[in-house]
Amino acid sequence: MKYAFFLGCLIPARELSYEASVRKVMPELGVELLDMKGANCCAPFSIQSVDYDSWLALAARDLCIAEEMGLDIMTLCNDCYESLLMVNTLLKRKPELKDRTNQILSDVGKEFKGKIEVKNLVDVLYGDVGIDKVKNVIKEPINGLKVGTQPGCHLTKPKRIHFELLRGFNELDELVQATGVESIPYERKEMCCGGPLRDINDDLSRKISRLKLMALKDAEVQAVVTVCPFCFLQLDLGQLEVKRHFNEEYNLPVIHFIELLRMGMGMKLEDWEIKAHRIPITDLFKGRL
Amino acid sequence: MSELDFGFMSEVAGTPRGSGILLCIQCGRCSSGCPVARLTNDHNPRRLMEMVVLGLKKEVLSTQLPWYCLSCFTCLDRCPQGGDVGDVMFAIRNLAAKQGNVPAGVAAQAKALYDTTRVINPVRSALGKRESMGFGRLDAEGLDEVQKILKRTGMDKIVSSTWEGRVKKT
Repeated sequence: MKYAFFLGCLIPARELSYEASVRKVMPELGVELLDMKGANCCAPFSIQSVDYDSWLALAARDLCIAEEMGLDIMTLCNDCYESLLMVNTLLKRKPELKDRTNQILSDVGKEFKGKIEVKNLVDVLYGDVGIDKVKNVIKEPINGLKVGTQPGCHLTKPKRIHFELLRGFNELDELVQATGVESIPYERKEMCCGGPLRDINDDLSRKISRLKLMALKDAEVQAVVTVCPFCFLQLDLGQLEVKRHFNEEYNLPVIHFIELLRMGMGMKLEDWEIKAHRIPITDLFKGRL
Repeated sequence: MSELDFGFMSEVAGTPRGSGILLCIQCGRCSSGCPVARLTNDHNPRRLMEMVVLGLKKEVLSTQLPWYCLSCFTCLDRCPQGGDVGDVMFAIRNLAAKQGNVPAGVAAQAKALYDTTRVINPVRSALGKRESMGFGRLDAEGLDEVQKILKRTGMDKIVSSTWEGRVKKT
């Protein structure tokens, strides 16, 4: 299995540990990831808010690069996923939008053809690799740990796009349980992490994270499992901000799903990767780090 | 009493992602599910839709109102009319941005995208770490093409005016 690997902006800038685990784990599952040379930012929420045509053209440019590679895209970030998936779906469904975008792209010698699919890490692991293969590589199951999963908004919404692709919470939960941990249901699981308002309205952004953290605490989970780097940042670093502004301590370790999988496979995390978590994970994963 | 612009609803409806405004029946299902609306009275998607319908153009486009939305798409999934409220929010923000109403955080991301092809860039130590791990180099080979695209769409002008506006103000 080969994919065009769309890294996005946030991961190389702030969450190298996420990328490191993906590059270690995926080959073990028979997945080869090829870097997308010359790719640009996916044009997330912020850019879409400024100009529609720029959104379509920027995302389509990335889609064209994957088409030239002849590969489906795999994203890690929910925002990259949402932007590329929406544009890929829109341009495939609406010929007039495709023409309009291709006119812009003709300036740079590119043409959107609609030949590939956009997938995220969960799609690839659940749909292409398969849950059985994931279960098979778990050598050291992480038993006795209760977690809450944070799928993040753009993995599952808008449902008019995601429903027909059968994407949702269940896939992530099944994958998480395959590592041996127990995924506990909690209130406001579908709720946003608050990340998109970071740097726009920090006060509200923090308050949203706090609601999420309260619900997780109420469900008595021991950790939060994320797939989106933005959710990770918002819930991990966000806990320090909530502590500063509300004087409340949640002490909920936040872990990338791929790191959980890696530990279940018996591969230890390195020191710098452990330190990439602002809420310490050392007590929870003793002996696995 | 504010000045009303009776063409405002049509203007929003004619903007890409904006046509959902025509389906709004003011039921409030968007607001009752909105995580931001539960925390502040300043944001209320139903009220914002109403303001567009009434023609309160200046209040909608020249204030912070369009920028409270998380684009979490909860409202879009909840709208019984299929009115895609979350999409209308993008339409409104596009119009606000044309008037230079762009929050600093968004202007900074747009500027970084225009200058580097990425909205956020790694600090030097992270680049060094990448190299030592043997990961692929982050290239900016698409820069020429990205800038050409943004010049063609006119977004380059929004980027420079909102960015320069910020720099002058501070």
